[in-house]
Amino acid sequence: MKNALAIFGFTVIVTLFYWYVGQQVPQKETYPPKTLEIRPDLNTAEMVEIGKEIVSGKGTCLSCHTMGQSGSLRFPDLGNIGAVAGTHKPGVSDVEYLAESIYDPNAFIVEGFLPGMPVIHKPPISLNDDEILCVIAYLQSLGGTPTVTMQTSHKFSGAAPPSQGAPAAAAAAGAAVSENLDGPGIFAKYGCMACHSVDSPAKMVGPSLYDVGKRLSKAEMYESILDPDAKITAGYPAGVMAATLKGGGFYEKVSSKDLNILVDYLVSLKGNK
Amino acid sequence: MSKRKIPFYIISLIVVVSLAVSIKNVAESWQLQRELARAQSVAGEAAQQAGPQITPENSHTVEYRKFPFVGSRVAVWVIAELHLMFAAFVLAVPMFALIIELIGYYTKDKRYDHLAYEFTKLLSTSFSFTASLGALLTFMLIIYYPKLTTYLIAIFSPTFLPYVLLFFAEAGFLYAYYYGWGKFSPKVHIALGVALNLVGTTIMFIANAWLTFMNTPAGINESGGLLSVWGAITNFTWMPINIHRLIANVAFGGSIAAAYGAYKFLGARSEEEKAHYDWMGYVGNFIAIAALLPLPFAGYWLGKEIYAYSQSLGIVLMGGTFSWLFIIQAVLIGNLFLAANYYLWVSMERIEGAQRFRKFIKYLLASITVCFIVWATPHSLVATVEEARRMGGSHHPMLGVLGVMSAKNTAVNILILTTYISFLLYRRGNREATVSWAKLGNTVQFLIFAVVVSFVVFLGVYGYFVEAKVRIGLSVPQVLSVLFAMISVTVIDIFMFKNAKSIGPIRWGKIPARAQYALFFLAVTFTWLMGLMGYVRAGLRQHWHVYGVMQDTSPDAFTPTLGFASGVVSVTVLIFFTFIAIVFWLSGLSGKKDWEAGTGKTAPSKGGLDLAEEGQS
Repeated sequence: MKNALAIFGFTVIVTLFYWYVGQQVPQKETYPPKTLEIRPDLNTAEMVEIGKEIVSGKGTCLSCHTMGQSGSLRFPDLGNIGAVAGTHKPGVSDVEYLAESIYDPNAFIVEGFLPGMPVIHKPPISLNDDEILCVIAYLQSLGGTPTVTMQTSHKFSGAAPPSQGAPAAAAAAGAAVSENLDGPGIFAKYGCMACHSVDSPAKMVGPSLYDVGKRLSKAEMYESILDPDAKITAGYPAGVMAATLKGGGFYEKVSSKDLNILVDYLVSLKGNK
Repeated sequence: MSKRKIPFYIISLIVVVSLAVSIKNVAESWQLQRELARAQSVAGEAAQQAGPQITPENSHTVEYRKFPFVGSRVAVWVIAELHLMFAAFVLAVPMFALIIELIGYYTKDKRYDHLAYEFTKLLSTSFSFTASLGALLTFMLIIYYPKLTTYLIAIFSPTFLPYVLLFFAEAGFLYAYYYGWGKFSPKVHIALGVALNLVGTTIMFIANAWLTFMNTPAGINESGGLLSVWGAITNFTWMPINIHRLIANVAFGGSIAAAYGAYKFLGARSEEEKAHYDWMGYVGNFIAIAALLPLPFAGYWLGKEIYAYSQSLGIVLMGGTFSWLFIIQAVLIGNLFLAANYYLWVSMERIEGAQRFRKFIKYLLASITVCFIVWATPHSLVATVEEARRMGGSHHPMLGVLGVMSAKNTAVNILILTTYISFLLYRRGNREATVSWAKLGNTVQFLIFAVVVSFVVFLGVYGYFVEAKVRIGLSVPQVLSVLFAMISVTVIDIFMFKNAKSIGPIRWGKIPARAQYALFFLAVTFTWLMGLMGYVRAGLRQHWHVYGVMQDTSPDAFTPTLGFASGVVSVTVLIFFTFIAIVFWLSGLSGKKDWEAGTGKTAPSKGGLDLAEEGQS
């Protein structure tokens, strides 16, 4: 009994010692990132402020990147990124370069570093387009002059979901995500505007959908989405849309309800704007 | 100036009054708390009645329920960790019991067979504890985290039936292995042990798939919908966790078994018993430390896979929220190495002839201490604004250099080599090589150590002068060179000490009690370390149930402080050891004498194996 008590006492003392060690290191509670309200009428200076908050908070950028440090860093320093962003790729503006670094971070790797940055507009970070615009404004301000506004568009505009939060959180039990979006919302959600214009007959990577409702029936519309290469509009290469949709996981993500709403929206475009 | 003494009765009066006031305050506070609790309970019931009733139609909408007092997270955390600790023990013991049985079978030495049986005696009660805690954990997940549980069921339901069937098989093999000791032919019994281990390992692999999926989900689309069950199972961290756990379980199980030997040693009444349990403690510790040595390498692989899955996740683990946790881990592992080496050095006192190695101990201790200090040096320091200003940042101008991975990797590799040398000296304790090439063998072994240590230090220093992408890759040659040193030196040693001359006996049982406390220290440290690393594995996800797929939207979605986590781990460890004490007590009952009716006294045992008596005979 005496031995048992001595052993028990010893166990308690050793456990308490480790508990004490645990109290001696910095104590910090980490909370889930706050959702910031981004108004469409923000000016550039306000965007810089919000961008700064996102970079150190929800964006988790500073987990990896440093500000104003040099030496053998693991990830590129952002202290002067506003000054050098436009110089990394010839012919690519700073806004386009920064957008590419965020939406498609492995497209260009700064010399001396390894690829590994996650895609920021997808879970777990899931910044939306507006938040990313604010981040770009802040990054431009680091050694440069911010020029973006809430109306600035770049080649990745629309690639991120317009709404906040984690889209997949609602997808428990394997159900596809449905956010009760309307036609333009779904069009934006899946990044269709990256290749197609709906406001004007302007040609982009893909044909304008400005008056597509006049040219295609509902059935043809379904076909052009579900089997894009079945019929190719003259002047456009085959395979691009199919590869883009497959690569982006469109067919896995889209629910039948969303597809119906999207098609209804597209056939309603008669070029009347 | 003369001093006036305060009369004793005045002091007594003050003490009594203070005590009375304190008791009154405590009583009032207790009363107040009870009233508050009652009010909260009434308010809670009222709120529940006012809220929507759960019906079959809306029952699926419940995402969380609250566990009273400590909250759902802490409750599930403690139960999950306890289940894990018992499961680790139950999976590890058959592994080394089988190995020891095999040694006994091939050497025809009955001591090994008895030792293996004694380890196995700990299993049956532990198995029941493991199963009960597993069932409790399942119920708690269903009750308190229904949405998460539903999702995991949707992904992994095809694995549940095989899991349950294997569990039945595990029970069958385990009890056949335990109760069949001495009842079957040795080959059949060994086959039962092999089957028990295979089934146990498979069960662990299945359960690992569930938990690793939560950290590094795979086999699903962007919405979280299932694409492939096999893809979900073979996620990035599944195999690294399988291997890491397999090795860690052996280390943990060995330390608990060694603690059992120490417990029995301290209570032993005869020299034979002492000798037997000293030997048992030594074997358990040998298993624990032998498994501990390769564990950091499995840890590297696990860390590498976490980074490969997501750099952000890796950064959160090593450079972000949890970076200070690794300072606690360094203290724990440093203590493990210190205590393991200390036990070996004290153990050498009972080996005739080992005195000639005593002179090396101070150098080994110096090496361990320096490596421990480097490993436990944080990169950034907790400092006041003024101190930080003087240092020019949060990094100390000198010590900050030691807080980076180049220094830490170097330190841990040398720490491993130093412990290996302690083992080597212990192994040679009472033996003298008789082969003609003994001198050459020693020289080659020394050169291997010298070259490998130089190489490891060189790479550590080189890491400061190269780009990150080169530096990250340097840990691999460091690890490989240390492994090379341990394997090659062992091979040389085996041949060199074949037919070696014995220069004295090992006096089993002649070991001070403090060595047994070193074994308890190791067991508690292993258990605490397991609790801490279990926390970081789950906490790594931060506010995600399934990383990037299902967000934690409960009030517990925040990551608590390391101090709070240390408190939960400490409580879990104490509960675990309370349960383990029950297991030890129950296991010891079979060796007790039979109760004699009418007299209320016990009579000498008539049946069963009383190995405590037989040990070392």
